[in-house]
Amino acid sequence: MTNSLNDIRHSKLVFMIGSNAAEAHPVAMQHVLYAKEVNNAPIIVVDPRFTKLAAKATDYVRIRPGTDTAFVMGLINQIVSNDWYDKDFVRARVAGFPEMCKVASHYTPDVVEDITGIPASEVVRIAKLMATHRPGTVVWCMGGTQHSIGSSNTRAFCILQLVLGNMGKSGGGTNIFRGHDNVQGATDMCVLSHSLPGYYGIKDGSWKHWCRVWDVDYEWIKSRFHSKEYMNKKGFTLARWYEGVNQDDKINQYTPIKALIQWGCAGNSNSMLHRVKKAMDKLELVVIVDPFAPAMCTWGEKDNVYLLPCSSQYETSGSLTSTSRQFQWRFKVVDPIYESKDDYEIMAELVKRLGFADKFYKNIKKVPEDITREICKGTLTIGYNGALPERIKKHTLNWHTFDIDTLQAKGGPCDGEYYGLPWPCWTETHPGTPILYDISKPVAKGGLPFRARFGTKITYYDGRTEDLLAAKGVANPGSQVKGGYPEFKDIVPGTNWKTDLSQKTIKEAIKRGMAPFGNARARCVVWTFPDQVPVHREPVHSPRPDLIAKYPTYNDKPDQYRVYTRFKSEQNPDLVKKFPFVIITGRMVEHMGGGAETRSNKYLSELQPHVYAEINERTANNLGIRNGQMVWIESPEGGRAKVMAKVTDRVDEHTIFLPYHFAGQFEGKSLVDRYPEGMAPYAVGEPANIVTNYGYDIITQIQATKDGLCNVKPA
Amino acid sequence: MARMKFLCDVERCIDCNGCVIACKEGNNVPVGVNRRRVITINEGRPGERSVSISCMHCSDAPCIAVCPVKAIYQREDGIVLVNKDICIGCGYCFMACPFGAPQFPSGQVFGARGAMDKCTFCAGGPAETFSEKERKLYGQNRIAEGKPPLCAAMCSTKALLAGDADVISDIFRKRAFQRGSGAGAWGWDKAYGGK
Ligand code: SF4
Ligand code: SF4
Repeated sequence: MTNSLNDIRHSKLVFMIGSNAAEAHPVAMQHVLYAKEVNNAPIIVVDPRFTKLAAKATDYVRIRPGTDTAFVMGLINQIVSNDWYDKDFVRARVAGFPEMCKVASHYTPDVVEDITGIPASEVVRIAKLMATHRPGTVVWCMGGTQHSIGSSNTRAFCILQLVLGNMGKSGGGTNIFRGHDNVQGATDMCVLSHSLPGYYGIKDGSWKHWCRVWDVDYEWIKSRFHSKEYMNKKGFTLARWYEGVNQDDKINQYTPIKALIQWGCAGNSNSMLHRVKKAMDKLELVVIVDPFAPAMCTWGEKDNVYLLPCSSQYETSGSLTSTSRQFQWRFKVVDPIYESKDDYEIMAELVKRLGFADKFYKNIKKVPEDITREICKGTLTIGYNGALPERIKKHTLNWHTFDIDTLQAKGGPCDGEYYGLPWPCWTETHPGTPILYDISKPVAKGGLPFRARFGTKITYYDGRTEDLLAAKGVANPGSQVKGGYPEFKDIVPGTNWKTDLSQKTIKEAIKRGMAPFGNARARCVVWTFPDQVPVHREPVHSPRPDLIAKYPTYNDKPDQYRVYTRFKSEQNPDLVKKFPFVIITGRMVEHMGGGAETRSNKYLSELQPHVYAEINERTANNLGIRNGQMVWIESPEGGRAKVMAKVTDRVDEHTIFLPYHFAGQFEGKSLVDRYPEGMAPYAVGEPANIVTNYGYDIITQIQATKDGLCNVKPA
Repeated sequence: MARMKFLCDVERCIDCNGCVIACKEGNNVPVGVNRRRVITINEGRPGERSVSISCMHCSDAPCIAVCPVKAIYQREDGIVLVNKDICIGCGYCFMACPFGAPQFPSGQVFGARGAMDKCTFCAGGPAETFSEKERKLYGQNRIAEGKPPLCAAMCSTKALLAGDADVISDIFRKRAFQRGSGAGAWGWDKAYGGK
């Protein structure tokens, strides 16, 4: 999130694509509704479903699942060709603009209509609306990302904001709403297979950096790996770990995966659950750490599962990072109940038994404060270093002294600082950065240019060479260099701003009124991606054979996070004949994630006791399905789910929607008796992910659960 | 004296049920009894609107008029409460109420219902304030603590307003003025008849 939830109060337009915030982020909605009421801001909701959010829109745009890039590139094309783009902004702070425009020019309103199903006239109208209401904010969620072209979608959204000049401005920005209070924190810690905490990557330098922070010998860490190669090789992802067990697709690792620890993560959020289930029985060991007995503990046929009860967030304390990059301190309300332990204790016990507690607890005497301190010390990339535990607590305890509109404290102990010290918080006196890339403020006061991350010059595929640093005269007030500049390095010889643990480099930059990471242009062209500029590609399982021919998916990726990932070889124009409906999944407001917690609450279960499939009235009548009747949803992968039909206009005739929070039943069979005694949730049902399809993003490998195919028939 | 009222701003209500859950959790309401409910019309179509409804604590409350044993009464601040020790569970109030507010424990056949239960505006009941009996029969007494009802306090979008009628209608008027339209305060005509 470049801005904050509160900053949406300043938006003149809110463009929400692939987000159902009314169900997924209800509290954030107060700011959206404020912008609607007070600024008269159009609320544009782009979604295949007429969601509860769409009910609050001024302009609802129904889009065919998986075609966001085509629509947004179509908007960009309108904005550029009608000369509605922000020329100053593009000239001074954007790179790769002509290359991008050339690609966008393909997406004329008629082409967009053909791909997306959005009327050509709407494309022009929405583009004009965005051009005439600035600054506007662009919001997306998993509806934007969970596609084989998810990474192109998100880049297209960013480019849209660049051409409109909406970046680095209050009321503008690209704002991705995160689901829990600490999802941003989890992201920042890179609980992922391709990066160490703080987005450092997994190159030698990254390992050495964190070894210095942890005070652990690099050679020792190296010795723990099978070989040096695997130390720097991206691992399996959450989306496809089970292929490391099943090996239905070829894996690139010296051994299959033998053990799994699933910690605070819902197994039923994985796509193609019948394959996950199969993997459960092949694993030698499965350890599940969760406050409630989750779906996964009912799937195995073998006795190989250990369930460790951990406490909830109310039974522990610590720092967290919210969607707006704000830190907060979570204070403990009660001690862990029953035999549960908090995550810190479980982790400490585990590390102790594995025999390397002495190595990893050198800096950690007081839990959890010292953990936060260690994170801050190492995470210089995004400026965690100024957000020390004492400062975080001070903010949380004095939240009432901060202004709801600007997030700045007016007087009181945090005077002038921004609530939660939104990162980057460069020094122990820095106020936090409420809006990223805002060059109207000095860096020391929360301003920031675009980061110089990709070198200083580039020659594009068309032969044009461009300077990647910001234009002359464009810098934050007080900057010693009046224009673009590269990142800071060698202030302490041999280090740069993100590896200098003394933080002298960062301090030096701030003193000179400059950003430690440089001042560059935001790029529209990513030369390391297969699509350097976002283009439409049909979903791997597409309902449009004619468009598969025109916009085919990518070539297969033989080693994507250690597993062969099929793209082209999986895209079959005939699939739609047998599986004529598009299946999408999403949230119910009453349940959360895998639902282990919310389905164990009697009141929430009373409100939403059943899983259902939303089916359009016309489709239901054509198939002879009545409201409330049980139906089978069948996926091309062989998974089937027996759910109740909910006949509704929310979806169109081609689309089936399922909420993904359920478990306790599997392909028609009840698993309720498999829960530990007394632990079965009140609300049980078929997990939607049994019928989600094969398909992954080309860059991130996130599962494409928002654009698969399925069949429906009465049960 | 302040007159307590509810106001649900249908332009803001997003059908999140936060108010319903806050009420049930906070007052330990049995499953099946709904002191508050969110009703949605035109679901999935343009014009979809949701409104959160409970007892409106009416002026000239029809429930009071029809109760044969005078179990229902109105406090000076307008809050309408039921005395569960007196209520005979006849269900007349349910039939008279324009909002379907009175609730009866489920699982029993018609005519053998338990005492009526409904929204108390989080003002407890006729039992001694803050007593165990009050908590068990009626739920929290937040009004006596100087706090607003749970539902409105926790409403995600501040759609649901509760409190002194003058104050909440001012808030709503300001919103309606900012919107430049006559967005409806659902149910006010019926409940308060201009009073
Ligand atoms: S809403 Fe119904 S129960 Fe409440 S005061 Fe009015 S008539 Fe009585
Ligand atoms: S909490 Fe507020 S927004 Fe949510 S349903 Fe209740 S009244 Fe509506």
